[in-house]
Amino acid sequence: MNDAMIKLGSVNKIFSVPHERRNTLKESLINFHRRLKYEDFYALKNIDLEVKQGEFVGIIGKNGSGKSTLLKVMANIYKPTSGNVYVNGSLSPFLELGVGFNGDLTARENVYLNGVILGLSYEEINEKYKAIVDFAELEDFMEMKLKNFSSGMQVRLAFSVAIQVDVDIYLCDEVLAVGDLSFQKKCLNVFGNLKKSGKTIVYVSHDMDSIKEFCDKTAFVENGEIKMFGKTDESIQKYLQTI
Amino acid sequence: MKRDNKFSKKNLRILKEIAISDFKVRYQNSILGYVWTLFKPLMLFAVLYVVFSIFMRFPVDNYQLYLLLGIIIWNFFAEATAIALRSFETKRSLVTKIYFPRIIVVLASTLTSFMTFVLNIVVFFIFLAFSQINFDISFFFFLIYVIELYFIILGVSLALSSLYIKFRDLSHIWEVLLQIGFWMTPIIYPVSMIPQAYHRFIYMNPLARIIEYSRVVFIDGYVPAMSLNFVVIGMSFSIFIIGLLIFNKLESFIPENI
Repeated sequence: MNDAMIKLGSVNKIFSVPHERRNTLKESLINFHRRLKYEDFYALKNIDLEVKQGEFVGIIGKNGSGKSTLLKVMANIYKPTSGNVYVNGSLSPFLELGVGFNGDLTARENVYLNGVILGLSYEEINEKYKAIVDFAELEDFMEMKLKNFSSGMQVRLAFSVAIQVDVDIYLCDEVLAVGDLSFQKKCLNVFGNLKKSGKTIVYVSHDMDSIKEFCDKTAFVENGEIKMFGKTDESIQKYLQTI
Repeated sequence: MKRDNKFSKKNLRILKEIAISDFKVRYQNSILGYVWTLFKPLMLFAVLYVVFSIFMRFPVDNYQLYLLLGIIIWNFFAEATAIALRSFETKRSLVTKIYFPRIIVVLASTLTSFMTFVLNIVVFFIFLAFSQINFDISFFFFLIYVIELYFIILGVSLALSSLYIKFRDLSHIWEVLLQIGFWMTPIIYPVSMIPQAYHRFIYMNPLARIIEYSRVVFIDGYVPAMSLNFVVIGMSFSIFIIGLLIFNKLESFIPENI
């Protein structure tokens, strides 16, 4: 049970932010004699982090502190500027629910589209289709175009598909920020079950209550650095001191 | 990080699902639906046919087939590359939220255009069936040209889609180049009308060759010399490789720069 599932070794992510935007060929040609001035922005600074199998790890910090960038590096969406990223096992990012959703398709078609993108096979989706619809409580709306759904309904559908994906590691970014209270409660139950079944979860949230409830360990991120990684209570305390 | 197989079953499923749902969405919002896919090239065909066959009286046998085939092939190239150029912009929410090989976005976009092309070719076959031309075994050679054409389109699309992330005005530049290309490629006029001295320039364009040879296969009823086909294979392979190299170099910067 002590295998490292995710291991980041001195990871840096630098975004080059130009002082002026030069995004067209004309601008590049006219100004080619003047070198563009770039400013290096450290979105992640020397991050060392290890998440072991079965751990539920929280990540907290202010807006823009680098939480989402951290998840995107873990999910292989961003390539780190330097450092190593090691991921052991299959991984599903809930960085945003409903990835690939298309408003012009029906809800049913979107379940298949989203499911396939998240890595399910058609057989698996067929098998789980009823469970997805039941969990989302949207039986009567599945032939409707998704653009006619309320945002809450869309999130419910998206969450229901996402939890059907059986992987080793789940990366969740603010997935509970939407949806009504009863649905949020349902989602928290799902998290509880995932935790019980020994899945590894990295959970970004501003909701300290759910962090306290689930996370074995929590990392507090500020200005791209991990200021503290340890007991959830202590990390939260440290975070609250900075506010 | 462990590199996964770009063409694993899972990734092929993603490719298929994106390509098909994009095709559905591209046309279902208009009243005429799929008919639009056929209507656009046919309208262009009708206008050009009236101008060049009836007004200007080009001396070409079976001019309607000759012109239609040229337009369909050119349209496939122009539409596929123009849409693929913006494919990362349109798929931003996908590319920045989940990892899968980025090349799938470009493949899906060009495959969606390929489906339109197939529908257009069906219309061409209907025209062909009503003409004086009889079925010939050489028709099957067209399939080889289609494969070569697809690799050219894919190569160009890979280069354009990744370069567009750096140079946003590439979309305007490409639009102008396509317009020039339409007139510099023998689509409406036969190569024989061009002075001999310029032929070698015309044939530097692989699309000109593919259009010419396809016409020979369907209308003249024989297969052009194999050596000519190898030239096209060489050209299309080189374009594909160059496009792939450019794409591989820029690929990892796409998610953070769109």
